[in-house]
Amino acid sequence: MSDTIELAVTRYRPEQDTQPWEQRYTVPCSDDMSVLDALNYIKDALDPSLSHRWSCRMAICGSCGVMVNGEPKLSCKTFLRDYREAGVLEVRALDNLPVERDLVADISGVVEHIEAVKPWLIRHSEPPVDTAHSQTPAQMARYHAFSQCINCALCYAACPQFGRNPAFLGPAALTLAQRYNLDSRDEGSSERMPWLNAEEGVWSCTFVGYCSEVCPKDVDPASAINRGKVASDINYGVNLFRLLRGKGDA
Amino acid sequence: MRKPWQPQQPRNWWLRNPAYRRYMLREATALPLLLYTLLLLAGIVQFSRGEAAFATWLSWLQTPAGLLLQGIALAAALLHAVTWVALVPKILVIDSDRLRIDPRHVLRAHQLGALAGNLGLIVATLWLLWPTGGA
Ligand code: SF4
Ligand code: FES
Repeated sequence: MSDTIELAVTRYRPEQDTQPWEQRYTVPCSDDMSVLDALNYIKDALDPSLSHRWSCRMAICGSCGVMVNGEPKLSCKTFLRDYREAGVLEVRALDNLPVERDLVADISGVVEHIEAVKPWLIRHSEPPVDTAHSQTPAQMARYHAFSQCINCALCYAACPQFGRNPAFLGPAALTLAQRYNLDSRDEGSSERMPWLNAEEGVWSCTFVGYCSEVCPKDVDPASAINRGKVASDINYGVNLFRLLRGKGDA
Repeated sequence: MRKPWQPQQPRNWWLRNPAYRRYMLREATALPLLLYTLLLLAGIVQFSRGEAAFATWLSWLQTPAGLLLQGIALAAALLHAVTWVALVPKILVIDSDRLRIDPRHVLRAHQLGALAGNLGLIVATLWLLWPTGGA
């Protein structure tokens, strides 16, 4: 099949442009071509000035996120064949994030939010080096889905609350907080709870739920955040109790 | 030199995606419920102003506008309840070393609870209003 398909790419070149504008390219379309392949085709054969991000080509590195016809997508995991009917693909940088150039969104704010919640195992005591932190399969299953996040920020592009207020920690960061709080080996939840409880934490979420629909790794961040609300409620009760007894926050 | 483009969230963001429109519909169910609450409050006020005032209010309920408002409020309440209960298994996850409940059972329990609560209310209302002859 020697089909072609049209890509309407939103371009932004900080040196020349004062605002984004649209450029159309016609690219070959075959059943096995991804949107990333099409962007690479443009870059290689049509217009070397186009900037976009990618690395692994297999939905692991999380760097190729763009909006395709208004939906946040990994361009390497999105195929032209699914847009044959539509005829045109509108491709732009991820929504809700500053655009550095063309399709390159600046995710540094998201990365800061992720770092804030201390997404690593926190231990008060280290076991001897020759022993492992043992964990049963059931204990692992409790956080496993939440640990599949590849930090692609599609969920941030999907979240209208983050679009309204970029200080909102947002889906991936709050999910990672839950991921470690639910890990039987972790002892750091008291360091993460202030982030969950904060104005920018779980309570800024109104359960739009679109983050979970667009997540390419089935992480279900909406569920993680809203389970975080239950955890935040319990933490509030426990802290109140501890306060009455003259103790510090749990 | 960097000069990132700062996007602004458009006012009509929620019109631009079916997922957002569904969300807004769910949230908007609060509005008919507000109107219905005001309608009930008006009923109480009219009740306190005497039989004639209350009868006027009762007859307004039967007008097309009154029926429409009640119909929309009922539909909104049902949509709100159904979408809310459907989300419960994502929020209330009971899974610890001591206690684990299958999410499907958590969902069923909420559905049954909602059903029992509503049926109970209807039965109680009918029982209270039933003409008991001479009472
Ligand atoms: S939760 Fe999903 S959509 Fe969000 S950053 Fe992680 S993998 Fe991407
Ligand atoms: S290129 Fe790595 S996720 Fe798409």
